[in-house]
Amino acid sequence: MREELRELWRYRELLWAMVERELRIRYKNSVLGFFWSLVNPLATVLVITVVFKYVMQNGTENYSAYVLAAYLPFIFFQICLMDSAQSVLQAVPIIRKVYFPREILPLCTVFANFIHLLMALAVYFLYLFVLWAVTGFETSPFTWTIGFLPFLLVVNLALATGMSFLISAYNVFYEDVKYVIGVALYLMFFLTPVMYFSDTVYYAAQSRGMIWLYYLYHLNPVAMLSTAYRKTLVPTGKIEVVPEPGKAPQQIYMLEFDWALFWVTVATSFLLLVVGYHVFNRLKWRFVERP
Amino acid sequence: MSDVMVDVRDVQKSFLSNRSGAASLKTLLLWWERKKKLETIEVLKGVSFQVHKGECLALIGRNGAGKSTLLALVARVYKPNGGTVQTFGRVAPLLELGAGFHPDLSGTENVLFNAMMLGLSRKQARERVDKIVEFSEIGPHINAPVRTYSSGMQARLGFAVAVNVDADILIVDEVLAVGDLAFEKKCIEYMEGFKAAGGAILFVSHNMDSVQRFADRAIWLEDGVAVADGKPADVIPKYRDTLLAPRG
Repeated sequence: MREELRELWRYRELLWAMVERELRIRYKNSVLGFFWSLVNPLATVLVITVVFKYVMQNGTENYSAYVLAAYLPFIFFQICLMDSAQSVLQAVPIIRKVYFPREILPLCTVFANFIHLLMALAVYFLYLFVLWAVTGFETSPFTWTIGFLPFLLVVNLALATGMSFLISAYNVFYEDVKYVIGVALYLMFFLTPVMYFSDTVYYAAQSRGMIWLYYLYHLNPVAMLSTAYRKTLVPTGKIEVVPEPGKAPQQIYMLEFDWALFWVTVATSFLLLVVGYHVFNRLKWRFVERP
Repeated sequence: MSDVMVDVRDVQKSFLSNRSGAASLKTLLLWWERKKKLETIEVLKGVSFQVHKGECLALIGRNGAGKSTLLALVARVYKPNGGTVQTFGRVAPLLELGAGFHPDLSGTENVLFNAMMLGLSRKQARERVDKIVEFSEIGPHINAPVRTYSSGMQARLGFAVAVNVDADILIVDEVLAVGDLAFEKKCIEYMEGFKAAGGAILFVSHNMDSVQRFADRAIWLEDGVAVADGKPADVIPKYRDTLLAPRG
């Protein structure tokens, strides 16, 4: 693996050039460029907010800030996996003709999407700032927990890269992989605290004497990362949850951050990265020979 | 220091062929189907040769004899099942001119990217863009998207990139027939200069005239085995005879 990494490092400039090219192609023919990529998350968050605030009658203030904090990383993960499924397959005609480390293909997809995430987060901070300055939202964009964000992003990047390695490699040989991933991601969305709060999961599990469900729920690294993003980006706001079934909803602060669960996610993510890279390297010479 | 640029030793390559064509999870799960449908085709059954500095080696043979596979092995597109392939210096593969061009990007952008794909750094690629564009003779169209180019223009641009990356070894797979006569002449002049400067060329052609004129040595491949190796003047007649004679 060390030799493979050294080879990849030698081609790092090609990787950056490819990321740059990817971003340029995506917006070559559209005037609004980057803002188009924000339309989808913003529209989704708008709908979720309206439904949960007015239909489900959740009284949390600035619900959209919580939804966005979890949804932007989620959509990064989702698009990464869907795009990476095609990344190697589409490039098969090229890699039949030219040599370069094949890892560059899925990595390029991940990095291009990661840059999108960073830009989207910048817009998010702007939004938080407006909320804080105009509506007096409790969370300012300048909380100390922001310092934790880079670490969170690195873990998220490791997870997305590891999964992309696996998916891009297997999708070359079994094209059903991308359909399976599509369905899995769709279901994953409901099992991730994006629309709702993981605190709700906690209280629901606790009141039924099944607190282990809450821990099981958070063994999913995507769910844990969503909770972590929320604790990082909007740590001080009060949310409305029902601590005991049948009782009135209360406005309370979010639960303490569970570090033990978070370290499990860190370990899972980096393990997936190593396993994914290993599997990719084992399969990569057969890409051009796909039957 | 020896002057060997390409060292191919007892190389074997086989492919799995799938008669049904589609790869799916079904074939993974139903292993009895897998066994039935996949068969191994041995394309190269142990080929050895060396290409030296300033030498041009031609591979000739029927379709399916393994010529292109051998080139692809030297270009590191495939990994051999047995034997070793070693190259000493930078390889510029011309297996397909303009492989990897993106249709929506301009000629210049594609040149930069392709040059980096062939192993130049970003800085080196930038420095050479002008030279490459000049060599390709595409003119002001260079700023238009590549999808608007004719196939000849694309091939010219691809060739221009490949010959300007300071390669030591050139691998050419029957690709020079796409440009017009003037460009073909230019390519041939370039390749002669390349040889004189100590580069090694490995090429595949079905055009025996160009093999005769161009190559210092020819290897005739038949069913994955080198059946003759020597001066083109000696190898070509042997190949011609079997080609015209009924097979078997």
